[in-house]
Amino acid sequence: MKASHTMKNRASPFASLLPALLVIGVLVLVPALGPSNRTLSLAISAGINIVALYGLAVLFGQTGILSMGHAALVGVGAYVAAILARDAGIGFWVALPLGSLLAAVAAAIVGVPSLRVSGHHFVIMTFAFGQLLAIVLTNGGDFTGAATGLDLQLPVTWFGRDAGELVPYYFIVVAFVAISAIASWAIINSSYGRTLRAIRENEKLAASLGINVGRHKIGAFVVSGLFAGVSGVLLAYFFRHISPNQFSSFPSIYLALMVMIGGARLLLGPIAGGILVSFLPEMLNLDPVESRILYGVCLIAVILLLPNGLIAGLLQGLQAIVKAAFGSRAETPAAGANNASGARR
Amino acid sequence: MNAILEIRGLRKQFGGVTALSGVDLSIDEGEILGVVGPNGSGKTTLFNVVTGVYKPTAGAVTWHGRDITGLVAHEVSGAGIAHTFQQAMAFPGLPVFENVQIACEHARKSARPYPWTTPDALLDFVGLSELAHERAGILPFGSLRLLGIALALATRPSLILLDEPAAGLNDRETQTLVGLVKQFPQHGISVCVIDHDMKLMQMLCRRLVVLDFGSKIADGLIHDVLNDPKVLEVYLGGVL
Amino acid sequence: MDILIQQVLNGLSIASVITLIAVGVTLIFGLTGIINFAHGEFLMVGSIVTWIAVQQGIPFLPAMLIAILVVAVMGFALERGLFQFTLTRPTNGFIVSLGLIIVLQHVVILFFGPNQKSIPRPLSGVWDVSGVRIASVRVMVILVTIAVVAMTFVMITRSRYGRALRAAVEDRDTAALMGIPVRRYITGVFVLGSALAGLGGALLIALFPVTPFTGGTMVMKGFAVALMGGLGNLTGAVVAGLILGIVEGFSAGYGFSEWTDAYSFGLMILVLLIKPNGLFGGTSGPKMA
Repeated sequence: MKASHTMKNRASPFASLLPALLVIGVLVLVPALGPSNRTLSLAISAGINIVALYGLAVLFGQTGILSMGHAALVGVGAYVAAILARDAGIGFWVALPLGSLLAAVAAAIVGVPSLRVSGHHFVIMTFAFGQLLAIVLTNGGDFTGAATGLDLQLPVTWFGRDAGELVPYYFIVVAFVAISAIASWAIINSSYGRTLRAIRENEKLAASLGINVGRHKIGAFVVSGLFAGVSGVLLAYFFRHISPNQFSSFPSIYLALMVMIGGARLLLGPIAGGILVSFLPEMLNLDPVESRILYGVCLIAVILLLPNGLIAGLLQGLQAIVKAAFGSRAETPAAGANNASGARR
Repeated sequence: MNAILEIRGLRKQFGGVTALSGVDLSIDEGEILGVVGPNGSGKTTLFNVVTGVYKPTAGAVTWHGRDITGLVAHEVSGAGIAHTFQQAMAFPGLPVFENVQIACEHARKSARPYPWTTPDALLDFVGLSELAHERAGILPFGSLRLLGIALALATRPSLILLDEPAAGLNDRETQTLVGLVKQFPQHGISVCVIDHDMKLMQMLCRRLVVLDFGSKIADGLIHDVLNDPKVLEVYLGGVL
Repeated sequence: MDILIQQVLNGLSIASVITLIAVGVTLIFGLTGIINFAHGEFLMVGSIVTWIAVQQGIPFLPAMLIAILVVAVMGFALERGLFQFTLTRPTNGFIVSLGLIIVLQHVVILFFGPNQKSIPRPLSGVWDVSGVRIASVRVMVILVTIAVVAMTFVMITRSRYGRALRAAVEDRDTAALMGIPVRRYITGVFVLGSALAGLGGALLIALFPVTPFTGGTMVMKGFAVALMGGLGNLTGAVVAGLILGIVEGFSAGYGFSEWTDAYSFGLMILVLLIKPNGLFGGTSGPKMA
């Protein structure tokens, strides 16, 4: 191997992790600034969404598969947590891996039949499965708590002490955001991540190079399910009450919106999308109805004007300005990082 | 000669349309075979049946004595048959280096010594090292064709099918391509070129097969085939 | 038995509305390649317009025509303003339609509140046919749907416009060379599909109270039916709509009504597992059965 290529290819991955770690480092400091309980709650629910968004980013950003039933997988994690706590006395820390695993199994159950059909059909299938789950939960009687849902019956503990208060729970959520970001970074820069991108870019060519496209698509779906399950357990223990409509079609669209606004291919995309969408209505002082209209308009505008998401759009704008100012081929991270470069245009 | 790929009685029908009506064809070890025919003669269908895009209506494809009829695309690649595409030759959103890296990472296990096992070696061979960090989507057409060849070679094939490899290339680029393809046999890679460009065929092949309306109408040394009256009739006033 | 017939009739009347949606989405997808998930919201807007008009004292029939017109104009504006920029990127069009779902739902909530809206039944007669009670409004909905779907079918398959349209679908470039205004045809189809949604909305509110969220469930069922029949296949959409209506009716008749909503999805998943292209074969892009 020639040193020149390998050098560049080994140096860049770590550089792409740094901004994400930096942002997470800032997030760790937030409680020290004495935020209001309202701000902290918003931050926690944003963080819970971000964990799921990292999974969705692997699926949509890397593999190019759009799932419109993703909230249902989050729901699997949440209901697993609630039912385990009620029926088996199993708490938060054991529920996390179990919820994650079962959400991944659910993803496989949805993925295997859905991926037999292609493109649009697949998206509609995921949507249908999401709706189906909400109906099953609503008709599940006492086991799922029917339309009213379930209460979480165990506290979150941390080394024998209660960690259900806002500040400790905030740290737990930020830790999982960090883990998700690092896991996602590891996937993006692995041979596995490259395989997924190959499928995204050109399925036929990928298959001709010996890649089992179907198996890897289901794999990506299962991986995204792992993230969704963790997010679901975190969500259940934060809200302490869950009900079917939290996991139906609107929350799924909402998740897709967040990942697209942030940018599905950038490591910082899920964090940016999650925080922006959670805090924007608060900052603009909008009521829930107005803020949802704003979300919809944002989604449409981002797709038509900034198809790579807000962050990539900003970076590209910055790049253009730098280019104009210095007249040279200045390279910004957006152009250098392979995960950001494929413009969906 | 030792045939590595044998096609027997291959038929393919789309609804009422017969694209291939019982084609027999064999590819010998170490040869560069040309398959020509006018548009709609069944060249591309033949190609797609062998590479697993379509399942044949009837007939069999045998590869080193093993029946590979109806294998899907990634299995065909795993068996050691690579192919290039006319269009959409690369992963446009990814850097050139990553394109080849992906192909190398999925290369089949082969005990045979192989000259190009790393992305760098492949890029060097096709002359794209300078462009390694550019996005494939911005490459000029000629470079994309070469990248497509590098990707196919990365799978460590023992047969490579080239679908109109010179389409859209200028004379100099075609010369470069011919120079590369001619080296394949000495590394144990047989070649089958599908095209309607007779000049290209004359540069590359010794043996030529002519398809017309889904049937084989000629098969032999290129000089003989080009003087066959049946072939002349098909190509009358055409490319020749 | 009597109750069963009644339930099947009920099922068929709801399925009529769903079939109108399915025909709309299948038509739009088959001829333009646009997947419009906000089609259910178009329907809901049709219901709301009908509701407003009836509240103003306008009788049902003109109110229905107003709803058709308003939704058609809305479809025109959205195709010209948004969807035409996504024709080469169907996934983007799909995502735009998801954004539209949220916007349309909440704009309606903003102005008219989230509560359910209903109008007095335009036909209140109930016929008693040897013990089977048949509500005339349900029969009206079924008949109107049959008439409109038949008209659409004839227009697409028999008329000169329809033939030109299908030529445009086969090969846009050649059709353009032949002087067929492809762009205008795409807009035309989108407007036609939207008008069907407006009609569906008016019929729906004649049957049931409607909320701003009704569109979401309805469009899912519409897509389920369209996919079952084969996306892009008109005949398929109609037959699958019929099957769904009968299945939903029977299930309500046998007392499983709480599961009604699950059937369309369950049936769709089952059908697609066995025949990924739907019962009658669909298309993967602009092409018509």
